[in-house]
Amino acid sequence: MGSSQSAPKVTAQDRAILDLKLQRDKLKQYQKKIQVVLDREQEIAKSHLANGQKDRAIIALRRRKYQQGMLLKTDGQLENLEQLVSTIEFSLVEVSVLHGLQQGNEVLKEIHREMNIESVEKLMEETQEAREYQREIGDILANRLTHDEEDAVQTELRELQALAIGKAVPDERIELPSAPTAPPVISEDLEVVQSPSTNSERIAIPG
Amino acid sequence: MALSPQTTPSGYQTGFLLPSIHSAPPFFTEQPNPNTQAQFNEQWIRLILTYARHRRLFSLRVEDAVVAGSEWDEVLRNERINRRMVPAHLSSILAAMVAKNLAVYEPAKQTSAVLLYWRLPEEWADVLHSWATATGQLNTILTYYEITDPPVPSSLSDIPLPLLKRAVNVLTRSGRAQIIGVAEGEGIRLFAGGK
Repeated sequence: MGSSQSAPKVTAQDRAILDLKLQRDKLKQYQKKIQVVLDREQEIAKSHLANGQKDRAIIALRRRKYQQGMLLKTDGQLENLEQLVSTIEFSLVEVSVLHGLQQGNEVLKEIHREMNIESVEKLMEETQEAREYQREIGDILANRLTHDEEDAVQTELRELQALAIGKAVPDERIELPSAPTAPPVISEDLEVVQSPSTNSERIAIPG
Repeated sequence: MALSPQTTPSGYQTGFLLPSIHSAPPFFTEQPNPNTQAQFNEQWIRLILTYARHRRLFSLRVEDAVVAGSEWDEVLRNERINRRMVPAHLSSILAAMVAKNLAVYEPAKQTSAVLLYWRLPEEWADVLHSWATATGQLNTILTYYEITDPPVPSSLSDIPLPLLKRAVNVLTRSGRAQIIGVAEGEGIRLFAGGK
């Protein structure tokens, strides 16, 4: 059981923070204790008063006052401790932010070293030259073709175009019936014609 | 055995629903038949754990069966049928719970008080880790007191220190926590972890 394989090292800072936090916890516990005592003293004072022992009640209340003072003092101390703890924690965050910025800066520098302006200009020039060169080659190649050949190329292109268009729009025309222009007329003859025919059929098949 | 299965909501400000078997007198005495006793133990264990979860109770002592007025009275006593748990019986139930890893004797080397595992240490470890994640306390150093007594109440409030330490141990084993020791005491640091 390797208990801490990948855990980061405990630094002196960590120990200091832990120490502070433990102190803070102790103060909090102490405050809790005082609060209990405070409540008890009041109970005592009440019961003394009920028994008519005014002087003892006063002593209890005095003790209570003293404890209250202590509570206030510890409050101040607690505030100090907590401030210190949060300041340290915030500083740690700041340190990590600074570290991040530094690293980013390093990387940026590295990239810039590889990409100085002169080399970029040179690169752009070379690209331009290469492009010119390419165009020249193209020109030379194009000039090699004679006018006849050029014409032949053009006619072939036209033929191809014609073929493509011919495929897209087939020449044969389909005769479609035109839609009626007048509203349909319901003829009653149809019914009359239909029924005798069925009748005659029935008669035509004798059993 | 004709029991009287009346489900009884216990009135006492907690609103916990006691199972019907809690109203059966034989439930409170040890049974001579081992099968019956095993079944009753099963029921008792479930009752104890659900009640503990309901009221966030972490420990149960044999003494709770003797002295009235503890937070366990509702469960260990039933005044309506005039029955209560006998210490010897409770002690045997505790032994059964420890055997099933639903509780441990705390402190160790005695058999009169247990720490209840209504969440196993592994489950508490997850609760602790997700609490730290949700409150943004990963990678910061935490004291145990800070966890058991946080300014904002959490599901870990008032968790007993032995149980918390067990949960932390689970986390250290999976590399999600680190224990830091100084002269004054101990603290822990939680990590996001590779899980």
